[in-house]
Amino acid sequence: MSAQGDCDFLVKRARELVPEDPWAAKAWLITARTLYPADFNIQYEMYMIERNAERTSSAGRLLYDIFINFPEQPGVWREIAIITAALRNDTQDKHAQFLRGVFETLPGPVQCQMLLKATEQCFNTLEKAEMHLLLLKRFPDSVVQHGVSLGESLLEAENMQDLDTPVNCYRKLFVCDVLPLIINNMEMRLPASLLHKYMHKAAEFYIGYVTRGPSADAQLQGPQEGGGLKSPGKGRGQRGVIDGLTEKSSLVAEPWERLLEIVGSVGLRCEWQGEKGTRTYSELLQRVKELCRYLPGLEGETFSRCCAQIVTCSTLVLFRSAHFYISSVQPSLFQGHNSLGSTPWVLVEDLSSVFNDIEPERPSGKHAHKKRKLADGREKTMSSDDEDALGKGRGRHILVNRTEMLAWAETLEHFRTARESWELLHSHETLESEFNKICAAWKTESWLWFRIFLTDMIIYQGQYRKALSSLVQLSSLQPQQSQNTHTSASSLETHRALIQQASCHYALGEYRLACEKLLEVVSGLVPQNQEATKSSEEQNRGRNKSKKGNDLRLIPCTSKDILPFCLQLMLACFKLRAFAEGNRDDLSLGHVIVLLQHDWPQGETLFLKAVDKICDQGSFQYENFFNYVTNIDMLEEFAYLRTTEGGRVQLELLPNQGMLIKHHTVTRGITKGVKEDFRLAMERQVSRCGENLLGVLHRFCINEKIILIQSLP
Amino acid sequence: MSDIRHALLRRDPLSAAKEVLYHLDIALGSTLQNAPGLDKSTVELVEEFIFHVPKDRNTQRKRMSCVQELQLLEIMCSYFQEQSKDAVRQVIFSALFSLQGNKADESRMATLGKLVSMAVAVCRVPILECAATWLQRTHSAWCVRLALVLVDDYCTLVPGSISTLQNVCSASPRFCCQLITAVTALYDFSSEELTPPPSLLDMVVGWITEDPRLLLLTFINTPLTSSLPLGCLEVTPLAGLLRWCVKAPLASQRARKSAATGAQLEQENGAMCEELYSKLHLSVLQVFLMLQVHLTEQNLLGRLAVLQVESVAALVEEVSVLVEELNPLHAANQIQLALDRLAQALQVAMATGALLCSREDLRTLCSRLPHNNMLQLVMSGPVVPHGAAFQPSVYPYIHPARPTPLSPHPSLPALSPLPAHPALATHHQLTPHTAHSPLPPPHAFHPASMAFQYRPIR
Repeated sequence: MSAQGDCDFLVKRARELVPEDPWAAKAWLITARTLYPADFNIQYEMYMIERNAERTSSAGRLLYDIFINFPEQPGVWREIAIITAALRNDTQDKHAQFLRGVFETLPGPVQCQMLLKATEQCFNTLEKAEMHLLLLKRFPDSVVQHGVSLGESLLEAENMQDLDTPVNCYRKLFVCDVLPLIINNMEMRLPASLLHKYMHKAAEFYIGYVTRGPSADAQLQGPQEGGGLKSPGKGRGQRGVIDGLTEKSSLVAEPWERLLEIVGSVGLRCEWQGEKGTRTYSELLQRVKELCRYLPGLEGETFSRCCAQIVTCSTLVLFRSAHFYISSVQPSLFQGHNSLGSTPWVLVEDLSSVFNDIEPERPSGKHAHKKRKLADGREKTMSSDDEDALGKGRGRHILVNRTEMLAWAETLEHFRTARESWELLHSHETLESEFNKICAAWKTESWLWFRIFLTDMIIYQGQYRKALSSLVQLSSLQPQQSQNTHTSASSLETHRALIQQASCHYALGEYRLACEKLLEVVSGLVPQNQEATKSSEEQNRGRNKSKKGNDLRLIPCTSKDILPFCLQLMLACFKLRAFAEGNRDDLSLGHVIVLLQHDWPQGETLFLKAVDKICDQGSFQYENFFNYVTNIDMLEEFAYLRTTEGGRVQLELLPNQGMLIKHHTVTRGITKGVKEDFRLAMERQVSRCGENLLGVLHRFCINEKIILIQSLP
Repeated sequence: MSDIRHALLRRDPLSAAKEVLYHLDIALGSTLQNAPGLDKSTVELVEEFIFHVPKDRNTQRKRMSCVQELQLLEIMCSYFQEQSKDAVRQVIFSALFSLQGNKADESRMATLGKLVSMAVAVCRVPILECAATWLQRTHSAWCVRLALVLVDDYCTLVPGSISTLQNVCSASPRFCCQLITAVTALYDFSSEELTPPPSLLDMVVGWITEDPRLLLLTFINTPLTSSLPLGCLEVTPLAGLLRWCVKAPLASQRARKSAATGAQLEQENGAMCEELYSKLHLSVLQVFLMLQVHLTEQNLLGRLAVLQVESVAALVEEVSVLVEELNPLHAANQIQLALDRLAQALQVAMATGALLCSREDLRTLCSRLPHNNMLQLVMSGPVVPHGAAFQPSVYPYIHPARPTPLSPHPSLPALSPLPAHPALATHHQLTPHTAHSPLPPPHAFHPASMAFQYRPIR
């Protein structure tokens, strides 16, 4: 008999005894162990008996023995893998708790050694990292030795996997778990460059995390609207779950606050100016704004350290505020369509003064028109067009309907803060180039939400030419929604860009292009009952009367709000042409009259001005009149114009009427017939007064699209 | 002194006894520092007025009534409870209850039995502690009698009262440790009457599984230099408990044979006891493991036989007699179980240094026993693969680095000659061991010393 044979016999006998007499089984194994102290199976069997009976302390004791004496046995490794797996996951089942209890009974150094060895055994990078992390969390001393290498291995793994988003499991582990351990361990001495690199990795992750698209679940709940979101880049997995992580560990609570903590720690370690553990983002910005003033006087290392602080802080404040602004303006980007208050908002020129009388100065001035060629030639910040506009950009007001956007004040404040950070980043060459490096590394070019912010910012700055090219970029980032245009909400969202284009073209004096874009939008709208719009419109009335056409307005992207805006914008486009001095344009004047019906009697002054012009001309030809004018006041006025008292104005308002008149001027009877037609048409028109005006105007836009566009230069 | 006696003779027996106790307290309390011991007259007073041994034929003293006797016990109880000085208490207790080898001893024992039983009932720790010392210093024959009184009172007479005794363990573990030694000496399975009652077994196993260190309590607390009289109880109950575990299966088989048709209840009881003995056996092995740690710490490993070869030899002899009485065909399982336990205990005891004995001695010792695989394995020792060096101390917990004579523990100056533990016979080697080492290694089963390789047939 061999020693192995003896051991096998003893273990076998003990195993047989376990069910009927567990004490005898243990007695056999104790004896066996004194006979063959170096045999693994005997001690492993002893451990298994205690483990299966879930006796924590004795199992721990025996595990300690076999771990110390048989570190190379595969059985030990299997067991350690099971125990460490129980440590990593957070299940509450009894056995997992028992295994964690066994681990807790072991002395600290053994726990440490066990975790280290278990880490070595892991082939899966993620598991390995989680194991490592377990070690670092339990043994803060080991952070000094292993912290950075673990962090680097995670970043390396991320690189190797060639992941297309920073919101991945490796980065999550690095940013949320490893990094705090590293930067909060005062024993660690790390170079500033490495700290900056890590902080930027963290920032990229947190920004990516908060600006992730809405979840797949949310899309399923709203199937009619969600179709377009299945396109690549947006519907990647569930929002709640990061690939490779559980739902629970994918959650990051208060990401902006976490990021701020990291910035605070790094700032402290990098000896940033005035860094005493920053508590708010606005403090961050305030501090670097002050720092910026001293920048020109600095040089060498101090200069670069200050630059790093300014760029980092401003960048974070910029993205944070821009994110908050966009989550108000375009909430569906982050929340999904069916959530409350997901209406998108669009920043456009304020047109509440459109009904005012013609002013000598037009919104963007004639000179803009003249210098357009120059501006087109070189799309640079300081074109003459923009130079002028920049000046205008200061102190522009943004009007919002306060009842419809509840957090309007915060939203506008975030917009302002973001712009301020942007300006700071572009106030110095070095800052700008550093910022551009970050943007390139993070591929911010591809961030739809940030492009939306940039566009709004450029519009605010009055750089409309630049804004238009930004809008083109925007549409290339936007997921294709072609099959979806019939559904109102999502198509409105895509039309957001069109509306802004129209608004920009208008501001640049490019009325024809403005109208083209507008009419494209209108064809996708569903006219509402006019009554609904009244209340909101009335609130802003009067207050804005005194303002120049210099302000901006945030309007909700709904048919209810968009159609009135489109009508106003068209009115604004035609108004100038229709009333131009020494220029007769009956078609434009007719369009203006049709458009003035909306929001009546706001446009009464302008209507009377139009009537004056018609009286001056002595005649007026607009064949669409009876198709689209249903306003009783206007009809009365026109009926009056034909009378002797009204000045016997020659009105050609019926289709082909002009032809008829020319043909039959000689024959009295036919003229009489024409008169009769007009009277009949008037009578018929009066009966149409109750028709939904928005419906009529909507039809006007759609049916007369070509004429409308052609009638503008 | 005779004045006192005359005065006492005039009193009623209870107040006379009280007076003697008082006198004793004064006499011993004051002389404690200088000359210990009692003068003859005081001893006589105690014997006459407390234990009621007549001094001469003429004086026919009235005996105390039962009530008076109870009152006297109560007085003693309160006295020991209230005496704050340990030493005085101890001296008085021994003055009263140390056996003198005279007529008074019977009465002494009777009173002691009642006193200790009462102390258990009302949990008087000082008395139990004194009793523990008494159990250490008195000849085992008397100790066994005290144990019997307690077993009768708490296990036999009033069945439910065992829990009272059970609870004493936390109050005076030292007393319980000695009591276990005493009951294992009492119940040696030599006859059916001397089989431990199940309730007693249950209690003892309960105590031990609660905290196995209990078994080593007396051993650890006894200074190596203190001299103990001959014939007293062993310093640990290990040998006695081992006898229980090994002989129980054989005895139960014997009982079954004699009882012919065992009742249902009897069988259930039997199953319960089997489980208890199995637990007990495991505990004994575990205590050996603990003992090794203690011996190593005290640098006593290999120098002190906690389990004496003589006890083992006696047990082996008893087992072989019992086996011969039983029909091996009908009792094969029981015999194998008994031998398994014996072999395991011997192996663990040798490996842990509790039993100082070589494999060869063991083979001689166990030659009469029937074949058993485990026993064969233990007798021949572990197989060492060719070329691989045997490393007995590879396992630190079980085999801590053993002391070598070359590096004596500095805290133990009296290394040579060996510290004599009077309670323990120092190991007498039956056959000379390794020539160069004066001490037997803890692994006395070194295969190099094996003359032949006898392997079990499986």
